[in-house]
Amino acid sequence: MIKKKAILRFDSTTVEKPVTYYLIKKYDLWINILQARFEPSLGGKLVIELRGEKKQLDQAFAYLKEQNIRVDFLEEEISWDKLKCNHCGACVSICPVGALKMNRETYYLEFNYQDCVVCGYCTDACPVQAIEIIF
Amino acid sequence: MGKFKRTYEEINEKIARKEAVIMTAEEVIALKEEQGIEEATKMVDVVTTGTFGPMCSSGAFINLGHSDPLIRMQKVWLNDVMAYAGLAAVDIYLGATQLSESERSDYGGGHVIEEFIRGKEIRLKAVSSGTDCYPAREVEAIISKETVNQAFMVNPRNTYQNYNVAVNQSAKTIYTYMGILLPELGNASFSTSGQLSPLINDPDLRTIGIGTRIFIGGTEGYVIWEGTQYSPKAMPVLEKDMVARMGASLALIGDLKKMNPDFIQAAYISGYGVTLYVGIGIPIPILDEDIMRTASIRNEEIYTEILDYSCPHPDKPSLGWVNYAELRSGQIDIKGKKIPTSSISSYAKARTIAHTLKEWIEKGEYFLQEPIEFFPSQRELHRLKTTRVY
Repeated sequence: MIKKKAILRFDSTTVEKPVTYYLIKKYDLWINILQARFEPSLGGKLVIELRGEKKQLDQAFAYLKEQNIRVDFLEEEISWDKLKCNHCGACVSICPVGALKMNRETYYLEFNYQDCVVCGYCTDACPVQAIEIIF
Repeated sequence: MGKFKRTYEEINEKIARKEAVIMTAEEVIALKEEQGIEEATKMVDVVTTGTFGPMCSSGAFINLGHSDPLIRMQKVWLNDVMAYAGLAAVDIYLGATQLSESERSDYGGGHVIEEFIRGKEIRLKAVSSGTDCYPAREVEAIISKETVNQAFMVNPRNTYQNYNVAVNQSAKTIYTYMGILLPELGNASFSTSGQLSPLINDPDLRTIGIGTRIFIGGTEGYVIWEGTQYSPKAMPVLEKDMVARMGASLALIGDLKKMNPDFIQAAYISGYGVTLYVGIGIPIPILDEDIMRTASIRNEEIYTEILDYSCPHPDKPSLGWVNYAELRSGQIDIKGKKIPTSSISSYAKARTIAHTLKEWIEKGEYFLQEPIEFFPSQRELHRLKTTRVY
């Protein structure tokens, strides 16, 4: 499962479309509405968190593009406080993509930011709150 | 068995002359393999161990100092975390797992202890019904390690000998004190530092008893009693033709004011609560070949049991045995399935502790204390006979 945050922007032509319904029903996504602001018949914006399989998320974004709904991703990244981290490795078996690895020589944790999909599971798994999601 | 013997006096004389040979429990493994038990025993005087894991049964006694007018504190809070005050007027015990009474559910006694060691200021609130000799009914103050009188950590149960491996066979994720356990054997969590673990390197506690001088939280401390739930066992691991040692634990004491935040760390285990990482190291004097044999034990030789934590009862179903080399490799095999492992104790810190203790001894600053009393080799564990469970 991958988590993404996005701002969906609607205009007068798209504001009537039941987009959230389609995202859930058609693409099996978990939708969490973080913010919604609409002027009836004018348009508005919807800030949502989408969670689902990568393939379905990609298809959902293609669908939104087709519908002429502008999507801006809220860039998120994981912040790892190396000084606070005690290198226990509680996060290692929780990370679904293997971005957090234990070095088997030094027994220090290694974090490969390129592989990270910002799912946020490690933030719950860390006993000393050394990992956070930042915007 | 070889006849070579060494006494505490001989070791301490060598330490005083800075001639003692000290190795960590990891370093000594290679030496034993090269030189054999007999030679290794003659060469090494002390083997140092270490562990840095969450140890819930930890806390500290603090004497807060008297206010003017006097108060006999009946309820006390430090940063909204309640401390036990059923002692003399301004004596308290702050437990590591006590949760904050404010809205923050991820803050507790462990955090107050860490902040105290860091020298931070802490908000104190105390209430009383008032007496003729202690008339004050309410007190607020800012305290720190500079303002209080004695502050010493007394931990009823630390350095558990050999903890089990936690897995989850159920269909939903569970949040335990062993961390997050994913459904359908999605991961496995363990804690013991294996070949560096203090009570694995001296499994019969031949050199560890009341009075043993230890490393605790970055300072010197002592073993004061057998740990709570102390119940040493030797369990046969039949299919491997090995014996797993487990169940021993220690009660420890150390000066909170002298501790170092590198070796004491508050923790919040998601969905479980607050606890405290405590760094402990114990030096093992190499008195004879038998002690060298256990002090040079390797991860491959140390077994622990895999238990299903989705079962809420004390006797959790066993899924077999595994050794620490397999656990440290990053994945283990259960029922033919490869399962990723996580440790909730820090092996890197355990190593640092064993090395720090080694340096202290090498510098001639730290001497080995022969135990005043030893602990029993067996102790039956009682279960609570309840009259009602809700």
